Amino acid sequence: MAALVTISSVCYRGVRPLLFRSSSLIRPLAVQKDRDCPYLISAKIHATPSNYAYSGSKAASLHWTGERILSIALLGLAPVAYYYPGPAVDYSLAAALTLHGHWGLGQIVTDYIHGDFKIKMANAGLFLLSTVTFAGLCYFNYHDVGICKAVALLWSK
Amino acid sequence: MLLTTVARQGLCLSRSQFGVLYRHVVPMGTTANEEMNKFWAKNTRLNRPVSPHISIYKWSIPMMMSISHRGTGVALSSGISAFALAALVLPESYPYYLDLIHSMTFGPQFLAFSKFALAFPVAYHTFNGIRHLAWDLGKGFKIPEVYRSGYIVVALTVLTSIGLAAM
Repeated sequence: MAALVTISSVCYRGVRPLLFRSSSLIRPLAVQKDRDCPYLISAKIHATPSNYAYSGSKAASLHWTGERILSIALLGLAPVAYYYPGPAVDYSLAAALTLHGHWGLGQIVTDYIHGDFKIKMANAGLFLLSTVTFAGLCYFNYHDVGICKAVALLWSK
Repeated sequence: MLLTTVARQGLCLSRSQFGVLYRHVVPMGTTANEEMNKFWAKNTRLNRPVSPHISIYKWSIPMMMSISHRGTGVALSSGISAFALAALVLPESYPYYLDLIHSMTFGPQFLAFSKFALAFPVAYHTFNGIRHLAWDLGKGFKIPEVYRSGYIVVALTVLTSIGLAAM
């Protein structure tokens, strides 16, 4: 606060009064050198003032929230799978694992792949992979022992 | 000293104008994604090399744990996809192939080690995932807290993997 007062006193009253001031005034100014008056050089402002009615999409934000909710759901499914194995948990697990993996790999594509065409191709490939994965898991649940039983069998030996 | 004060005064004068100009600024209207794409398009077009980052920056525990979280995620996802693909393609049933693997087994230590090797990425990804969810709630961002939670995750992972392998 004191620094602001000193800065404003230099800005608006000119240089000459400074010459007659005590040295204690000079020190704060030296310290505040980089944080005083912000300089105006074609600053691009990414601001959305409240009076600007921008109808943006909440898709990205909702996606983020969905990812967290799914993670928590998957976390809860683990003990349920252990204590209550069966078809309901098998199919829930198939869906939750596939979607969690799909969204996770989607983030990796977003982080590392650049260029419109490459992004589109990568996402298409990912979608194909996730579809096949879910189909395979459902097939396994229906025609074979199911996910819970499979883990139990694997661990029994 | 005089010169810097004069210069600063020149900048300060614009400060009074700054408030006025701010009101005339129009929001950019581009998303962060669009800005990022513009960056990559320009830099690949100019064929600019990427500045060394991971090859020169000193690795820290949080860095290693972060990429390990991603790595275990990819590994687990690939495993699940491979399993699903095998279920669709292979002719015989799961118990058949399980017995086949067991007939080829190299001893109980191999079995225990395989269980550990399977349990480890699952445990790590799960515990570190919980750590991530805590961050999403805004908790534990102080640097000592980041390290402490990281060590707890690693300890829990090792203990859980050993426990699961022993079952």
